[in-house]
Amino acid sequence: MVEMNLNRRQFLKLSGATAATLAVVELGFNEKKAYAKSKEFKIAKATVTPTICCYCGVGCGILVHTKNNTVVYTEGDPDNPINEGKLCSKGTTLRQLYTSEKRLTKPLYRAPGSSKWEVKDWDWMLDTIAKRTKDTRDSSFVDVENGITVNKTERIASLGGAALDNEETYLLAKLMRGLGVTYLEHQARI
Amino acid sequence: MTKYVKYVDVTKCDGCRACMVACKNWNDLPAEPTEFLGSVQSHVKTTADTWNVLQYIEHENGKGDLEYLFRHSSCFHCTDAACEKVCPENAISYTKYGSVVIDQDKCVGCGYCVQNCPFEVISLKEYKDKNGKEYRKAHKCTMCTDRIDEGLQPACVTTCHTGAMEFGNREVMIQKAEKRVKEIQGRYPNAMVYNPEGVGGTHTVYVLAEKPSVYGLPENPKVPTSAVAWKDYAQPIGKMMLGATTMALVGAFVTNKLFNKEGKGLDENGGGSDE
Repeated sequence: MVEMNLNRRQFLKLSGATAATLAVVELGFNEKKAYAKSKEFKIAKATVTPTICCYCGVGCGILVHTKNNTVVYTEGDPDNPINEGKLCSKGTTLRQLYTSEKRLTKPLYRAPGSSKWEVKDWDWMLDTIAKRTKDTRDSSFVDVENGITVNKTERIASLGGAALDNEETYLLAKLMRGLGVTYLEHQARI
Repeated sequence: MTKYVKYVDVTKCDGCRACMVACKNWNDLPAEPTEFLGSVQSHVKTTADTWNVLQYIEHENGKGDLEYLFRHSSCFHCTDAACEKVCPENAISYTKYGSVVIDQDKCVGCGYCVQNCPFEVISLKEYKDKNGKEYRKAHKCTMCTDRIDEGLQPACVTTCHTGAMEFGNREVMIQKAEKRVKEIQGRYPNAMVYNPEGVGGTHTVYVLAEKPSVYGLPENPKVPTSAVAWKDYAQPIGKMMLGATTMALVGAFVTNKLFNKEGKGLDENGGGSDE
């Protein structure tokens, strides 16, 4: 027979260890800490910025919660009189406008007749847009039509977006009228 | 502690699905692309990554007219939850607000809750740990308990623009539901409050426009008897027996020790006996 030669101290140690083991087992201690309980409140310490939904002409207010240089959550702005915190399914997805991997992050250019897109920088893009707008406008400008001064171009059209605010639409309309654009339209004509 | 209820008036729902998106947005759940189902409905039922699904039901009413019925479907947060009863790991529990939540650390992915939920709202998700070993966890709506903790309402309720969903004190919401049923009975003669007694009432209370079966809901859901037997009788007895066994073992060990010590005499550290 194997004799268990335990003295009192060893016995106490052993029973202590047993109790501790049991306690740990009973408490459901899980080694799979992958699902760590570090989950703090999602929008705690986030910066909140109010914005206007860019999708339709209603203009719902949205609160954008940002943290660690990314958008962690978006929700209807309860203080906005238009939507009082409510949103539709499309407005609710606003966060993906920033976080989606499908989002374009660089200007892309497709030359006339080409089948592929090229990455260009913003300076080239804006310069090219300005140059071609001026070329088109100058070559198509009509001063007088049927004896009436019209100062217009019919080769350019402008399509505004629902996300534009009052000031932006004012500036846009002023620029387009200055160029002589008569086809001034808006996307949100519902 | 005040018990809270998510009140869903299906007759006010316009089927915009913002509640589905809001749920994914708050809980960071990935999209689940689906095939066309033959109706506007996007998913057949709730899944581990889609905690609420908007049902679209084309129903012919008694007069031969087509009714287009919508229902926001998600966890009911039963007062007597079958999932809580059957969970062998005690991973499912009630919060002080009345919601039923799954502790992901304790869940072992056995799937008993999935099999026993009378409303089929719990699903398992498969994961792989870094060694490539597969494991599963059960997921369902939490009623945004983390938001309630911070004084916010559930994400789906917050976004609902028709007022089809409201969140508040249980008694107030149930009164509201009963009042609403009286208002709509002219158009929907079968309208009713769905707060089934068989599961002790629920913390998602519906005003349904039609009988529950039209929405694919059980008329009288119950906690399975086997589940009650397991949780309320078998498990406590089992625990007691385990305790008794442990006590007996320890007792035997100590007695044995004392007995042996007596035979050999005390060592220099004093031994275990003063007899």
